[in-house]
Amino acid sequence: MILSLASLSKTFGTTKAVDDVSLTIPEGEFLTIVGPSGSGKSTLVRLLAGLETPSGGDLFLREARITDTPANKRPTAMVFQSLALFDHRSVGQNIEFAMKMKGVPALARRARAMELLQLVRLPAEYYSRSVTQCSGGERQRVALARAFASDPEILFFDEPLSAIDYRLRKTLEVELKELHQRTGRTFVYITHSLEEAMVMSDRIAIMQDGRIIQTGTPAQIYGAPANRFVASFMGEVNILTVENKGDGQAAFVEIGQPIAKPGGAYAMVRPEALAQGAGDISAQLTVTQRLMLGSRTQVHLSSETGAILISEIPGTAPDLLIGSTHSFSFATQDIAWMET
Amino acid sequence: MDGDMNTRSTPGRWFAAPVAVFMMLCFAAPILIVTWYSLMPSRTFGLTGDLTLENYRSAFTDGYGRPLMWSLMGAATTTVVTAILAWPTAVILHRYAGKWASVTSALIALPIFISESVRLFGMSVFLMPRGGILAGTLNAVFGIQIGSIMNTWAAAQFGMIYIHLPFMLFPLLLGISLIPADRIEAARDLGANRWQSFREIELPLAAPGLMIGALLTFVLCLGANAEAAILGGRAVTVITAAIEQRFNYAQDWPMGAALTVIVIAVTALIVLPVLSRLDLNKLTGR
Repeated sequence: MILSLASLSKTFGTTKAVDDVSLTIPEGEFLTIVGPSGSGKSTLVRLLAGLETPSGGDLFLREARITDTPANKRPTAMVFQSLALFDHRSVGQNIEFAMKMKGVPALARRARAMELLQLVRLPAEYYSRSVTQCSGGERQRVALARAFASDPEILFFDEPLSAIDYRLRKTLEVELKELHQRTGRTFVYITHSLEEAMVMSDRIAIMQDGRIIQTGTPAQIYGAPANRFVASFMGEVNILTVENKGDGQAAFVEIGQPIAKPGGAYAMVRPEALAQGAGDISAQLTVTQRLMLGSRTQVHLSSETGAILISEIPGTAPDLLIGSTHSFSFATQDIAWMET
Repeated sequence: MDGDMNTRSTPGRWFAAPVAVFMMLCFAAPILIVTWYSLMPSRTFGLTGDLTLENYRSAFTDGYGRPLMWSLMGAATTTVVTAILAWPTAVILHRYAGKWASVTSALIALPIFISESVRLFGMSVFLMPRGGILAGTLNAVFGIQIGSIMNTWAAAQFGMIYIHLPFMLFPLLLGISLIPADRIEAARDLGANRWQSFREIELPLAAPGLMIGALLTFVLCLGANAEAAILGGRAVTVITAAIEQRFNYAQDWPMGAALTVIVIAVTALIVLPVLSRLDLNKLTGR
């Protein structure tokens, strides 16, 4: 374990930004902490980087207690949401900053900066360019190179891609993942986008109201969300409520269909699992809206009780016209059960 | 049609005209007259005498170098000391004072609205020996007898720092506010200690504010007279006092004019290089 968090807490006034978080991060892992804004994820990473002092709990770097170690003495580096580039310095000077602070001679600094420019795929002539002349994507790369220059054991990322347009973000996500694989360093990444987390991470920790409510691989979290918050956080999913009627009888409230052996109080059904035709659980649903998503079509479906369900069908689904009623179903094996 | 277009595209010229006329009459004209006077024969009052550099020769040989050095040294010392005092004050006001920042700033700014002479006489009452507020209180309450720095070079220097601190503080406050907090955090995160973060990040980023504060303080101190007169008791003669004496008591206008031109030239030599490097757009946040 490279980093261990033991009941880490941070209180601002009366609000608990980080509430009793315990977590261990193995060496070389790409861990992503996901949560909505205000969930405390930024505060958590600032605690890890040493930019905030915890109100309680402890932090260990390979068994050594670093709870009170200031940021400049921790072998970690952070890529900030704002990137926090030094605009009054050149690209090269930005990258060399950490080495200069350590007293590395100018020639050695320059050689290492050149290597790092190559690592983040920036041309060598960017070395003497002003950071204010760089584009958004180039600035990302400079920030990345600057963090790597301190030769950190752990890299922290505080939503660095949140202000970048979609295409560039996708490119940088892949590059970041490759960089992680090539360098073998431990990455702790913060984002509000579960989609981004799914693409890059070895493991995901989901945060809500200062607490970590679920950790697992992307597949584990996708397949078995811990509760409705995690399920809905993953995007558009159908969440059905089970109503127990006594005598071992139960039914889905939204569609009025009986369910013999419910595995929990709530059932998550993905839009792609709700398909036309017969199946384990079926219902007559009326199309209220249809949206073309490129390779597939999303339809909004109204049940007899008035609940809206979402289905995604490959292709253009020409027969699912607004106002028409069809038989839809899903298999019990496609249900992810949740208690809360 | 063409002419119409031209006047429409350059309305700035007309808007600038009132200020331009004012500057010509009240800034350029007096400088020209003073410069012309400085080339007139000593102790004459006309502008039609033969041109001569005799006044400048006397300026460098007749012991005016000392007052000029006093003024330059005093201005430089004041600039450095006020900067050292104002930096932590500005940092505290900007980062930690919160809602108290505006109240504190107002209290610091308040004395500017009171006449400089009144404040200096107040300070002289405070510093006076024996019955003065400082010496008297120490004697009465603690039984400690102290002397006084009144009527010395130190008192004049103290007065200059006291009077000019706000002129350094407020531009510097603006400069400090230009340092984004995350840049300091990034520097710390990358291994910079407090001093390195100050030298590499905070100082360069706050430089525009610091420069403006330094220029204001330096130029105002170079022209300062009252501190040396009221607190220094003419223990030192500053260059402005020397100029005043030439114009008043000595009735030697050309000599006074020559000294004035030298002060203007020295000021320009120091100020213009700094001013040319200053990016005012940075300060106004554009």
